[in-house]
Amino acid sequence: MQQAIPYRNRAPTSSPPAFALDGRSVREQVAEKAVVVFARRGCCMCHVMKLLLHGHGVYPSIFHVDDHNEAEVNEELSKIIGAAAPQLPAVFLAGELFGGIEKIMGAHISGELVPRLREARALWL
Amino acid sequence: MMNSTSTHFVPSRRMGIYEPIHQMGMWVDFKGNDCLDASPPMILEVDPKLDNQSEDTSHGTVGPSHKYDQEASKPPKVLRRLAQNREAARKSRLRKKAYVQQLESSKLRLIQLEQELGRARQQGLYAGSALDASPLDYAGCTNPGIATFELEYGQWVEEQDRDLSDLRDALHSSETRDSELQKFVDDGLRHYFELFRMKAIAAKTDVFYLMSGMWKTSAERFFFWIGGFRPSELLKVLLPHLEPLSEQQCLDLGNLAQSCQQAEDALSQGMEQLHLIVGEAVAKQLGEGNYLPMVGAAIEKLDDLVRFVGQADHLRQEILQHILRILTTRQAARGLLALGEYFQRLRALSLLWSSRPRESS
Repeated sequence: MQQAIPYRNRAPTSSPPAFALDGRSVREQVAEKAVVVFARRGCCMCHVMKLLLHGHGVYPSIFHVDDHNEAEVNEELSKIIGAAAPQLPAVFLAGELFGGIEKIMGAHISGELVPRLREARALWL
Repeated sequence: MMNSTSTHFVPSRRMGIYEPIHQMGMWVDFKGNDCLDASPPMILEVDPKLDNQSEDTSHGTVGPSHKYDQEASKPPKVLRRLAQNREAARKSRLRKKAYVQQLESSKLRLIQLEQELGRARQQGLYAGSALDASPLDYAGCTNPGIATFELEYGQWVEEQDRDLSDLRDALHSSETRDSELQKFVDDGLRHYFELFRMKAIAAKTDVFYLMSGMWKTSAERFFFWIGGFRPSELLKVLLPHLEPLSEQQCLDLGNLAQSCQQAEDALSQGMEQLHLIVGEAVAKQLGEGNYLPMVGAAIEKLDDLVRFVGQADHLRQEILQHILRILTTRQAARGLLALGEYFQRLRALSLLWSSRPRESS
């Protein structure tokens, strides 16, 4: 039974307004939040990811990507990770790209997810 | 379509080299020039695009002949197995040929019917469209990718049956060493991975077909979950057959079961979400007649469905791997046998059910 206290920071955990997105916002989110999920609006895979994380008591920030900011967001993400933009939905832990839905699932099953969440200070205990 | 009643077939896939080189008897020239006419004509006639195995004999090299010469020095069990493999491969090719011919004639018949229908419609005799969804699934007839998948899956099941029989023999023999059992476990796992690989390709071709489970038997469909078996079901089936388990194993398996259930639930809920979204997209602005933009939008959302099937298979794969890692070699072997037999029984159930005597009304 997880008695986790999710990491709280200054910024609200609700997603940032869609119109204010720019490269700096992307970088801010990744740098400031313990767990950030980048996903397209209404993406069902993102829903799955959220549920898995919620199960561990982690409530990540969701950065919504849609048609008008997609290119910018991808550009910023690829700059941050130094490679091609990751497939969405993508999870960042403590400023680093952790992976997509498959990685989260795999880590959840192997038991790797909880220690990584703790490392990223998304979990306390 | 591929309801095989024989369990003696095995595809040549595993041998890595082309089976007929063994099966043809005395090959004179491995470059495929001279060969005894055992059954080569059928091989050459097979439609190359349906050819999934490396059936091109012109690729013969020194390798196969070398292997053939070495055969005599192998233990009798292996020789018997090799001979059975050859026979199975030969039968498999015959079936494939028959199947392909059936497909070709079905295709011709379909074209004929469409033409007739077109003519009839022109004359105002039939108002409907030939594209109306029929209760029967035409996917297998009109989609070559699906036809290929069905064929390969049929072969996969046959090979599975063979492997399980060998595994059963090995487990019941007191002489079988753990190293041999480990090989069975590794091969068994790899065989399942092969199925997941095939499914991934089929999903890209027609994900609805994969989701329908029409490629499996009816009883298996009863237990269906996102394109295959439920991973949590896997654990439930295996656990009673793995006793005795150490305390650590029980703990690990318990944790695995919990994680599995959570992942499964997450995917299920994700699927519900997808239902909602696609349903909403389709139902948008009903009554206006023009459906193309709505249906187009719905189709885009269906890309997620392919990912769901992929993630469900990935979960199946992970669970399978983790279970086998927690278990000892012998336990893992017993587990794989139990799992394989479970699916065999479901298939048998389907067969018995469909052939049960109907009550007269």
